[in-house]
Amino acid sequence: MANHRFDVRVLPGFGVVAIFTLVMLYLPIIILVIFSFNESQSQAVWGGFSLKWYEAAFNNRQVVDVSIRSLWLALVAAGIATMLATLAALATTRVGRFPGQTMIYALINQPLMVPEIVTGIALLIFVAFLKVQTGYSGMGYMVAAHTAFCIPFAYLPIRARLETMDLTLETAAADLYATPVQTFTHVTLPLLVPGIVAGFMLGFVVSLDTVVITEFVKSAGQDTLPTYMLGQLRRSVTPEMNAIATLFLALSLVVVSVFFLITRKRG
Amino acid sequence: MNDSATRADYQGKGDATVADGAQQSGNEIEIEAVSKVFGLGAAAFHALTEIDLTIRTGEFFTLLGPSGCGKTTLLRVIAGFEHPSSGQLRIMGQDVVGQAPNRRLVNTVFQNYALFPHMTVAQNIGFGLKMLGRPRSEIDATTSEMLHLVKMEAMATRKPAELSGGQQQRVALARALAPRPRVLLLDEPLSALDLKLRKEMQTELKRLQVETGITFVFVTHDQEEALTMSDRLAVMNKGRILQLGSPHDIYHAPKERFVADFIGETNFLSLKVIAVQGRSADLTLPDGRSIPARMAQGVTPAPGETVSAVIRPEQAQLVEAGTGELSATVNSSVFFGTDTHIHLTLEDGQPFTVRRQNTVGQAAPATGARVGLALAPGALQVLRG
Repeated sequence: MANHRFDVRVLPGFGVVAIFTLVMLYLPIIILVIFSFNESQSQAVWGGFSLKWYEAAFNNRQVVDVSIRSLWLALVAAGIATMLATLAALATTRVGRFPGQTMIYALINQPLMVPEIVTGIALLIFVAFLKVQTGYSGMGYMVAAHTAFCIPFAYLPIRARLETMDLTLETAAADLYATPVQTFTHVTLPLLVPGIVAGFMLGFVVSLDTVVITEFVKSAGQDTLPTYMLGQLRRSVTPEMNAIATLFLALSLVVVSVFFLITRKRG
Repeated sequence: MNDSATRADYQGKGDATVADGAQQSGNEIEIEAVSKVFGLGAAAFHALTEIDLTIRTGEFFTLLGPSGCGKTTLLRVIAGFEHPSSGQLRIMGQDVVGQAPNRRLVNTVFQNYALFPHMTVAQNIGFGLKMLGRPRSEIDATTSEMLHLVKMEAMATRKPAELSGGQQQRVALARALAPRPRVLLLDEPLSALDLKLRKEMQTELKRLQVETGITFVFVTHDQEEALTMSDRLAVMNKGRILQLGSPHDIYHAPKERFVADFIGETNFLSLKVIAVQGRSADLTLPDGRSIPARMAQGVTPAPGETVSAVIRPEQAQLVEAGTGELSATVNSSVFFGTDTHIHLTLEDGQPFTVRRQNTVGQAAPATGARVGLALAPGALQVLRG
């Protein structure tokens, strides 16, 4: 809806502020990407174009291991979180208003509101307790922690989609002899797909990205790509890290693009 | 499960019922003392109060009333989207109170059409039959038959978003008709269309109703729609049915002030009763001439009492001053093309409007002229209350 009376572009200095903000946002990333192709080991002096840091990264057994761990962890956690979030969204939008509904919203969105470091420390203590009690120290804790952390990110777009969906469509399906289950599978679910895809993508990216939760929950040998990179950076900064970060960036861009294409086609 | 048994039942009955229903009682829907209350205690809203209504098999029945009168709630009760707070509801003689919408042999055309956006036109139309578990071949055959019926063959593979409002309307109709329901419920289906398209769809709806022989229950706030399309109509206000009858009865013999006022234009007159004989009465104005009038059912005025009576503007004619039943003075004339509205003041100051069909060369009466009014015999109706 265009406002013809007022145009933000006439504000003095608007263009300067806009350009400055965009430069600050993207310049560091552009430099990171450029230096991932640097022949020399320096982060400041350009020594010519080379793919040797990418080669080094792919030949680094550890990098490959943590990358694969990061990916499957994100897939599993985002997958479970999306299923749970879909059920939660249905329960909070498809029944009448009930007492404590706002409370439920707040509880579901806990990871968005509680500082991550607090959640991290709480998980550290809780998981340590469980490890002692059960003797189990596998990836189960990581999956559970990442899933819980992903739920609100998956929940929000799914709920938004359900809330804007025309309820008459479900009424119309019932009117046309669909049972409640058929109404869900033939009408509600197909219309919910863009929300579910968005929820999954968000959860996936969040899980892939989180350092704090992983750092506090992981046992020995359970590093993900971000915690591995953090560990490496403490020792030395080589353009190999630039190369890994660039690949990481490329993956995120692919995920976001896929999400955009799917929602645009559906929308 | 129990569910599939009921649906199998319906499939078996489907074809036989049209003949059965017509022979049995002629009543498609029987509503007895149905009330619907939303909310509790002081905040309670009485959407429907003690509705008694019988809708006959194969008729075009209209629920007419202003917004908030309860007409849509009544439709939703018939469809099963709302359950009555009290009262009885039978469809084809079968008690359906508490029965879910997907078990009822009625289909609805929604005000906003509610087409499934992720399905094509053909998939939308076939949805009901698919849910009933009919074979693919039957679904395909019925879908193309319905596409033909609403003249949308060329659009079968389009999505609803690619259609105009009028086209969406046709698809919504076809989708609701495809399962061959006993009753089609239409919730203000024409209100979103522009005037020209609305006129077109009025004719179209009437044609579909005659061709399919399905009972139509049509909800509208548009009195013209109600008058032109219905076999019978019920005028509703504040959760009650005020009058039920043919468009002719409702227009020419309104029983209550609200009905007379809501439908068409009308003249309200305060008149004194001289004499009462059965269903007719002699009324008079201060200038003394006697005017015969009909009385609505249940109206029993005593001689000497002042009553409210109505007459339509086209039921009175201007005549020579001193002749006719009433005398009046001309205030203004408004030219409408096909007719002229002449606004008058009666002897005792009451306003009166006459609608006169225009003919070439006929002059409008001069402002301030004194005229007589001749009322069509039987056109004056005494109202209840």
